[in-house]
Amino acid sequence: MDHQNKIFQEAKMSELEFQTRRHFLKDCRTGIGMMALGGLLGGCDFLGMSNKNELATNPLLPKIPHFPGKAKSVIFLHMAGAPSQLEMFDYKPELQKMDGMDCPDSFIQGKKFAFIRGVPKLLGPQTNFNQYGESGLWLSDNIPHFRKVVDDVTILKAVNTDQFNHAPAQLLMHTGTARLGRPSMGSWVTYGLGSENNNLPGFVVLTSGGKNPDAGKSVWGSGFLPSVYQGVQCRSEGDPVLFLKDPKGFDRDLRRASIDAINKVNEFSYQEYNDPEIMSRISQYEMAYKMQVAVPDVMNINDEPQYIHDLYGTSPGETSFANNALLARKLVEKGVRFVQLFDWGWDSHGTDPGTALDKGFIDKCHTTDKVVSALLMDLKQRGLLDETLVVWGGEFGRTPMQENRDGKQNTYKGRDHHAEAFCMWMAGGGIKGGFSYGETDPIGYNAIEGKVSVYDIQATILNQLGFNHEKLTYQFQGREFRLTDLYGKVIDPIIA
Amino acid sequence: MISENKKFPKRKFIKFTLIFSVLLIFMLVGTFFMLNQEKKIDYSADVKPIINKKCISCHGGVKKKAGFSLLFESEALSPTESGKPAIIPFHADSSEFIKRLLVHDVEERMPYHEAPLSMDEINIFRKWINQGAKFSMHWAYQTIENPTVPSFGIFSIFNEKKNNDIDAFIDEKLNHIGLSRSEQADKQSLLRRVSLDLIGMPANETLSTSFLNNSSSKAYDILIDSLLSSNAYGEKWAGMWMDIARYADTKGYERDGGRSIWRYRDWLIKSFNKDLPYNKFLTEQIAGDLLPNPSDDQYIATAFHRNTMTNDEGGTDNEEYRTAAIIDRVNTTWQTLLGTSFACVQCHSHPYDPFKHEEYYNFMAYFNNSRDEDTYNDYPLLREFKNNSKLKFDSLINWLGIYTDKNSLNYYKTMIKTSEPTINSLVADSMVNAALADTKFLAMRKSSWARIKSVSLSGKKILLIRYYAGTKNGKLNIHLNDAKSNPFLKIDIPATKGWNIISLPIKEMNGVYNIVFHYENQLLKSKDDTGITFDWIALADTFPGENDNKRSYFQDMYFNLLNSPEADYTPIMMDNPTDMYRKTHVFERGNWLLKTKEVHTGIPAIFNPDKNLEKNRLGLAKWLIDKKNPLTSRTMVNRVWEQLFGQGLVETLEDLGSQGASPTHKELLDHLSYKFMNDFNWSVKKLLSYIVHSSTYMQSTKASKKMMEKDALNKYYARSPRLRLSAEQIRDQALAVCGKLNSTMYGPSVKPYQPEGIWASPYDGEKWIQSSSENFYRRALYTYWKRTSPYPSMVNFDGSAREVCVARRIRTNTPLQALTILNDSTYWDLSFQYAKTLYPKNNEEKSIMLAYKKATGKEISKDALQTMKTLYEKTYAKLNKDPNISMEMIAMKANKQNNSLAALTVVINSILNLDEVITKS
Repeated sequence: MDHQNKIFQEAKMSELEFQTRRHFLKDCRTGIGMMALGGLLGGCDFLGMSNKNELATNPLLPKIPHFPGKAKSVIFLHMAGAPSQLEMFDYKPELQKMDGMDCPDSFIQGKKFAFIRGVPKLLGPQTNFNQYGESGLWLSDNIPHFRKVVDDVTILKAVNTDQFNHAPAQLLMHTGTARLGRPSMGSWVTYGLGSENNNLPGFVVLTSGGKNPDAGKSVWGSGFLPSVYQGVQCRSEGDPVLFLKDPKGFDRDLRRASIDAINKVNEFSYQEYNDPEIMSRISQYEMAYKMQVAVPDVMNINDEPQYIHDLYGTSPGETSFANNALLARKLVEKGVRFVQLFDWGWDSHGTDPGTALDKGFIDKCHTTDKVVSALLMDLKQRGLLDETLVVWGGEFGRTPMQENRDGKQNTYKGRDHHAEAFCMWMAGGGIKGGFSYGETDPIGYNAIEGKVSVYDIQATILNQLGFNHEKLTYQFQGREFRLTDLYGKVIDPIIA
Repeated sequence: MISENKKFPKRKFIKFTLIFSVLLIFMLVGTFFMLNQEKKIDYSADVKPIINKKCISCHGGVKKKAGFSLLFESEALSPTESGKPAIIPFHADSSEFIKRLLVHDVEERMPYHEAPLSMDEINIFRKWINQGAKFSMHWAYQTIENPTVPSFGIFSIFNEKKNNDIDAFIDEKLNHIGLSRSEQADKQSLLRRVSLDLIGMPANETLSTSFLNNSSSKAYDILIDSLLSSNAYGEKWAGMWMDIARYADTKGYERDGGRSIWRYRDWLIKSFNKDLPYNKFLTEQIAGDLLPNPSDDQYIATAFHRNTMTNDEGGTDNEEYRTAAIIDRVNTTWQTLLGTSFACVQCHSHPYDPFKHEEYYNFMAYFNNSRDEDTYNDYPLLREFKNNSKLKFDSLINWLGIYTDKNSLNYYKTMIKTSEPTINSLVADSMVNAALADTKFLAMRKSSWARIKSVSLSGKKILLIRYYAGTKNGKLNIHLNDAKSNPFLKIDIPATKGWNIISLPIKEMNGVYNIVFHYENQLLKSKDDTGITFDWIALADTFPGENDNKRSYFQDMYFNLLNSPEADYTPIMMDNPTDMYRKTHVFERGNWLLKTKEVHTGIPAIFNPDKNLEKNRLGLAKWLIDKKNPLTSRTMVNRVWEQLFGQGLVETLEDLGSQGASPTHKELLDHLSYKFMNDFNWSVKKLLSYIVHSSTYMQSTKASKKMMEKDALNKYYARSPRLRLSAEQIRDQALAVCGKLNSTMYGPSVKPYQPEGIWASPYDGEKWIQSSSENFYRRALYTYWKRTSPYPSMVNFDGSAREVCVARRIRTNTPLQALTILNDSTYWDLSFQYAKTLYPKNNEEKSIMLAYKKATGKEISKDALQTMKTLYEKTYAKLNKDPNISMEMIAMKANKQNNSLAALTVVINSILNLDEVITKS
């Protein structure tokens, strides 16, 4: 047995060398290559990993970014369908005065809309606004809980996109292009930073609202990056991660026994073939075994104290935005780098009560408002907000005009898709609190000041993590690709 | 020598010394001269790599700082902004290019604000200029010549057996790095390896036994021939091609609805199985519709480029997504068939390779005249008639044959089979109280107007309209050009049951007109209610056979077939007729909204294409398969090599260009590429057979310490590679090993077990409804592929969403893969099914041995058997202690026999997880 152990250790060492070389060679082309080695030898504290060699077998080994980032992880709360900024953050009293009037020609001339045809009518805010917090930022009555955290966030009021359909706009937001096929933001981050926790995926996705986002799983796909960097969808019902649960009747001992047997026979194979991939496979089975405990553990919110459940409004066992938000906090606490939440059902066209601004939309606000502020407060009380960047937004905004689908007045109060200007907010991770950036014209149509693009958002997120967005690249199809394509500028004024 | 010298008289000796000295001087001078004579600099090998790395980002296809670019010879030698050329051939030291590499001033020195070039690099540039600054084409753009096979003569240090010329090329390189080939793998390993490679799963029992028991030298040949002629061969290679074709069963984007395109997958299987030569294989996929009298199969082959995505999301611009699809066709063609990254030329000239911006659009023009327009129904569709419709079609064509000439008969055939050429209603504009319903079909309301622009009426005698009317008493007036003009046609529109086709005789007119529809219906309650929805319109000649008393019978049959036949539908490529020709423009910086200069079809100039090629996709196909095309054969050969050896001879399958990886064995690549075209006449089977017959392929996979030191990544093939199986192979192998494989071929994609709640596309009621139990066990390539939610266990093993083509999969090794085979019900179920067939017929030990042998092709070692037996015993003991476990595990009541069965299931599942099993060795 001693002899076998020795062989095993030797093999691991030789594999470490091999992998190091392989990573080094591979990453040399990526622009952050040197750092892979730095991270490897830099003596990172490897959570729960007794054997340092194990990290070498893991393409998710932690890496050092371009410069020390203020944020260690990101929680991106995507309200899929695109919430109305005009009923949440962008207060437009002028628009109220013009409610019901024909939209001025200059706004619609030569413009294309998803559903508005002909001349639509302007639609005033469907709720009241007031100023809150020390910062005195304007918030609508739809989000009363948000008042408690408003001094922790920067509201970006003039975000601009060039896509006004859901799937392409979501793709643009998360992959930097409106077409399918590029890596998502979380994949880029995982590729650049690796994962701090070997027993959990580096990039986790949680969805609520009953549907996946319009762009499908591509918004957490790895595109042309190796598939190990793709987002892993965790679920509150069924297997938290697909295939995580052992077949019925298995207990830990039995799984241990079977993995031991597999790994032992694999060691025999290693002795025969000298193939380092076999050692890598042995490590993957060990990791799989650990993930089987670590993931359900982090996904289990039963043991959270009652005050936490009260804070978020969570009830264990269901799939809800509240549960997902609490899970997001737990995941970043455990070292997960990128947590992506999608909440579906924000597409307030006004074609039915569910999409009416004075009905379904308010319900959506109510089911998320408390949760969002709970998340920020919870992160703050744990001292995690400083190192966790929380981003909130949709894929675009909504028109100041009431939708008239195919030229007919919609039955309910609703707004069409709007690309020119919409609101997002960021909090924590080195972003200013109680700050508002950017402004739209009096009806909330165009950005007139502090206009930022989706690429700027991406550049800023990467910046807070310690990346120069122009240098986090990957060689593909004969050129260096990056998340921000050819664009993007860090939004300096919002950085604390 | 010395003793002989003694015999020389002294004078002779002096003379000899003199001659010897002169000779020696000559030799020394000669050597000196040779040493001094500059090595000939090779542009592609020596110069271009430095340019690409250090210069081209500022002086190339994208940026031309100071008016200087190194991309094209003409540009590099032309005057820069300074008025003088930067490179003066034969005069390195007076060339500004060299001066600026040497100056000390960092503002002046190039590369700008970067580390200076090394003296070695500068000297390469200097010598290159002094030798005349000759540009040469990158190797991959040079015509494929048949390279000389290395020969080692009688001094060969190689004693290894060479089966064919491949081995000679491999040995030559191995010699350089001081390695030599390994001995041949044992028969069992070879059997498993070549079966997985050629048919994607282990060979069946009969084939295996007959190979293993046949000790003649022909045994391997027979095995290869049998594998290549088995149906499973086509399935394996079709599966490979489906990544290239970005095959999926859904349309992509938002609701990602289903698309019926499986006939294309079946066409691939059949084509590989009948070994359709690769040149024909490509021609039919690129231009099958343009071949004379295309068969259904040739139409279906063109679905290759209909695997592009269609965006059904309400409010999306159909033209935008049509354009995206066209661009995807261009990029896919280059990336997968020509091994060239062409996508960057969309926005600017290629940064590294000699392709000009405009040439992208010349190439796009080949695809841009296609009929497809991002329609909801994926038009154009080929209908393959079934049952009654098939009979009707045959009799109608017979009857039409009496009254029509060849052209006209072809028109009817095409029209019935494809419903083309027609004008889709979604091109309508200038709508008043009309709209594109969900941006898909023109819908007109109570009192409404809409226009279809630029329709040629020359020679047309009837107008066909496919429409649906929900309310009776509609009035449709059609005006030409001017909505206020007198109606050209007035039609009463009764309510229809579903879609209907009407045929309206029209006055003969010459020229192009805008057709204006005006719809009125007093029965509609609100002005917002829709009365009529249009699918398409078409202009045509009068239906023939005017004096035949069966004319109206056959005309009804015609409309009936046109409207709603019993048929299978497959999206195909078709071109616009001349009067509907689409112009192609250069897009400024790749932006489809910024159209500039109009361009026509054309192949990039560096390929020096034949001027007489057709100006459509058929011309393109002919260029692709021209033996002078330097890329087609190399790209395919490289891909085939990658399938067998895990990496291409050029690692970057998608880019053989100057920015791709350098070939490890360029001559071997050319040898195979030349042979593939000439000796093998583009037969993929012959190519495969040739490669798998090489000693290189047949080597053992064991790596020695020396090999790991000198060639850890096995780029030089001193051993055969060990490779993790592909997602498809892992599934297919498990099915075969466990004896559950359903080898039914073809047909609509199937939905085997998938965990709950994976599909959740918005606005789409589609559900993953599990196929009937026999379809549970079909091969992986028949699994339904939904783009926004691909089959999870395949994705875990590096399968792709197939949104765009996947030129090569990158293998990863992750814990999710472990969890998949350990826990996916598919593998657990298979383990149980297999256990039942083994036990109690055999005892536990025998069962383990048999299972291992079946999964790996080899006898289990003593140690491995002991390990597995221990697992068995541990499990069994546990089950005996707790009777509930068996019940849960295999849903059978606990007794000794069932407990054994359950324990054996655990062991078999573990065997399926072994590295030896999921790796090709």
